[in-house]
Amino acid sequence: LWETVTGSFASFIHAVQPEHLSEVVLHRSKRMILDSIGVGLVGSTTHVFDIALRYCQLYASNAVSSVYGKKGLKLSPTLAAFVNGVAAHSMDFDDTWHPATHPSGAVLPALLAVAQMLPPSAKPNGLDFLLAFNVGIEVQGRLMHFSTEAHNIPKRFHPPSVVGTLGSAAAVAKLLSLTRTQCANALAITASLAGAPMANAATQAKPLHVGNATRLGFEAALLAAQGMEASPLILDDLPGCSGFSAFYDNYQPKPLPLPANSHQFLLEKQDIAFKRFPAHLGMHWIVDAALSVRNLLINYAGSFSPALIRTILLRIPVSKYINRPFPESEHQARHSFQFNACTALLDGKMGVHSFTDASIHRQELKELLAKVLVEHPEDNIANFDKMYGEIALILENGDVLTGRCDTFYGHWRKPLSRDSLLKKFRSNASHVFPEDKVEAIITIVDNMENLPDSSYLASSL
Amino acid sequence: FPPVTENFAGVIHGLNASHLTDLVIQRSKRMILDTLGVGLLGTSTEVFHKVIQYSKTYSSDASSTVWGHLDFRLPPLYAAFVNGVAVHSMDFDDTWHPATHPSGAVLPALIALSEALTQKQKFSGPDLLLAFNVGIEVQGRLMRFSSEASNIPKRFHPPAIVGTMGSAAAVAKLLALDPFKCKEALAVAASYAGAPMANVATPTKPLHIGNAAKHGLEAACLASLGLQGNKQILDMESGLGAFYTDYAPQVLPTLKSYSWLLDQQDVAIKRFPAHLGTHWVADAASSVRKHLVKGDNSLPINGIEKIVAKVPDVGYMNRPFPNSEHEARHSFQFAVCTALLDGSISVQSFSDQNISRPQLRELLKKTQLEHPPDNKPSFEILYCEVNVTLQDGNVFSERCDTFYGHWRKPLSAEDLKKKFHSNASQVLSAEAAEGIMETVDNLEKVEDCSVLNAFLKGTQSAKVLEKICSF
Repeated sequence: LWETVTGSFASFIHAVQPEHLSEVVLHRSKRMILDSIGVGLVGSTTHVFDIALRYCQLYASNAVSSVYGKKGLKLSPTLAAFVNGVAAHSMDFDDTWHPATHPSGAVLPALLAVAQMLPPSAKPNGLDFLLAFNVGIEVQGRLMHFSTEAHNIPKRFHPPSVVGTLGSAAAVAKLLSLTRTQCANALAITASLAGAPMANAATQAKPLHVGNATRLGFEAALLAAQGMEASPLILDDLPGCSGFSAFYDNYQPKPLPLPANSHQFLLEKQDIAFKRFPAHLGMHWIVDAALSVRNLLINYAGSFSPALIRTILLRIPVSKYINRPFPESEHQARHSFQFNACTALLDGKMGVHSFTDASIHRQELKELLAKVLVEHPEDNIANFDKMYGEIALILENGDVLTGRCDTFYGHWRKPLSRDSLLKKFRSNASHVFPEDKVEAIITIVDNMENLPDSSYLASSL
Repeated sequence: FPPVTENFAGVIHGLNASHLTDLVIQRSKRMILDTLGVGLLGTSTEVFHKVIQYSKTYSSDASSTVWGHLDFRLPPLYAAFVNGVAVHSMDFDDTWHPATHPSGAVLPALIALSEALTQKQKFSGPDLLLAFNVGIEVQGRLMRFSSEASNIPKRFHPPAIVGTMGSAAAVAKLLALDPFKCKEALAVAASYAGAPMANVATPTKPLHIGNAAKHGLEAACLASLGLQGNKQILDMESGLGAFYTDYAPQVLPTLKSYSWLLDQQDVAIKRFPAHLGTHWVADAASSVRKHLVKGDNSLPINGIEKIVAKVPDVGYMNRPFPNSEHEARHSFQFAVCTALLDGSISVQSFSDQNISRPQLRELLKKTQLEHPPDNKPSFEILYCEVNVTLQDGNVFSERCDTFYGHWRKPLSAEDLKKKFHSNASQVLSAEAAEGIMETVDNLEKVEDCSVLNAFLKGTQSAKVLEKICSF
């Protein structure tokens, strides 16, 4: 059955069923859901979240959806999705996929809000929820394969604002059980809401990209449910009149296979990276390299003595927005190879506290930063599947100690163990919840497939 | 050179009423009136009804007027959204050069916000005029950052880019944000900008203007709450430059004697609700019709062998057999045939009945487009030539270089008011329509511009009218 690319996506979203979810996909997506929630909870303590929340409270009616970490406060569903999405990305602590985007934060908040919005007679169960979540992730992944540009660290548009918005629309369309035509319209309407430029990465506005992705995709699905129509060829290649291709320089869309009996989700073949500390993914390589060379220095000299170091040479891929020699704000610090390398060298670890104002402006850190030089080896490609991080400490006495990381712990090639993932979640969630609540959330997500009413998850946040 | 972004923020912040020239005031009042009329008419459309249903889900702490509706109100964000959708719902709103629809992205946001804040702060007519013009000016300046923008767009729909930025600037002005926050408003707005052209000629297109107004408003509000973005958003290729293939930002002129773009370049006001390109076509076709038909007779369809319209090559305007009103408004062929058949194009030309008329379909079958290389897709230089070849071999040809309503041949004040009146009276009483015309005509002297909302709601109270008309 010859079909347009747009049509194939609509068919997929509409027709895919829980039975199509494999064990691996179920398992991986529950890990993503847990991590996303934890990251959102700790994110609800940030300044950017505070601004977004105060803003949304101006429009607070129809307040039925929960806000991460704010017991008793509810907002209208799309605004709840917005603030929770902002929370998820507020510290750059959320998951990253390949090709590069932050998939879960763009999808989960909207679904949680929808689950609370639906009437008691139509509450989706845990499996429905998991299915919708995976539809949202899958659509994002498929869209990113439409352009080779997407494989590398982005330069023009911030991927969550492009594919994330459509992923959210797809996920909400699924959870609301829209018709095939409505699914197609949801995608098309969303395209008119997608796209934020990279320049706002490393600023306080970046978290809004994920907040808006999840919210605007949600709004588009709601509009589609009301009968709004848009271009039926939005994902197809339209020379002379761009659809989704407007966001890319080269664009080769491919239809999704119809679920029929089995559908292979991208998540099955390509896992996600979870961050161990709240900074851009690229930082994780350089930190692991820094930690290893730090150990070498300690073995060499007995302790970590910055005075022994003449130069810190970083060998990193070329990517302007994460190359910052002297970051001034937490947002810049999270996007600075230099900052993350030096903090790891100095402290021997990285965590939420590495990015406080006090930590950022430490004198010892500034002294180390002044010793940093950067190199861009040709074989170090700006791509999360291929890049590496290497640090050479050139000592005053001429000796050179080198550390290198090809695959950091948490990367999809070396996934976090269940213990490590839970440790991260507990650490995050305990910023806003007591221990028993934290454990309760872990249990709910663990048993998601068996949950009779998924809005229970939302209201426990 | 100072960063462009900072320069923009400084100018947005520093412009005041004394900078407005008479010509700019006059032109912008015409734009305001036209936009209101077009918006009021637009509240009768299907797309508007859908967005209303959607927006009502957010309706409590509602504090802004939905144009033409006494029955309910919406929070300013959603009022700006639905009213913006109304303005662009029929493609009846103003068009500028370089191409965008400037007023619909700005006016709804300003009107909604001024009303919402009315308890705490009064905004005068001059405040509104100034903020409006800041919003228009910023759009015009941004479009000059790329030569791509001079032609009819192919990738992103301009209102979604510059309109969002213009709305943010206008709201920043109305809220009297400091230069720092003006800059942040622009930065945050950029992350909301952009919608692809493919949704043009679909019901979603009007949302581009609605969203521009809404998101610009939101960005400015977030900035006023302290949200920050990239302080060089206008300077960077990965900033606003992300939307263009060639991008060369420039600083604004000094405030010492500010030269407004609207002073040098007027807008085009449409005479009927369709894409601007169709206006050349309509004028050319109506002229040819005069050769074919005497007096009140109808067009001899059977006598016509071929119709050729020489137009610029614009893919999304080439629709031989449009099936919906949205497609019909974006079809050169539809415009030629309707004008030939009826003598002119009007609001009613786009009803379902008229779109599917057999006589029209007959004519459409005989119609072809040609794209002469000298006919460039730019609203500044395009033309339309219509050739009708009869069965007997005779050929009649007329050409339109500048349609009536184009900036080179602006609508008279009377015709502008006629258009407004015709639009507004679809949903408002005669008194309310009159009230708006009076208020806008005297906008420089109005003390509290939220009176516009009383009329826009449809209240016909003579008392209100009296109170207002005491300038």
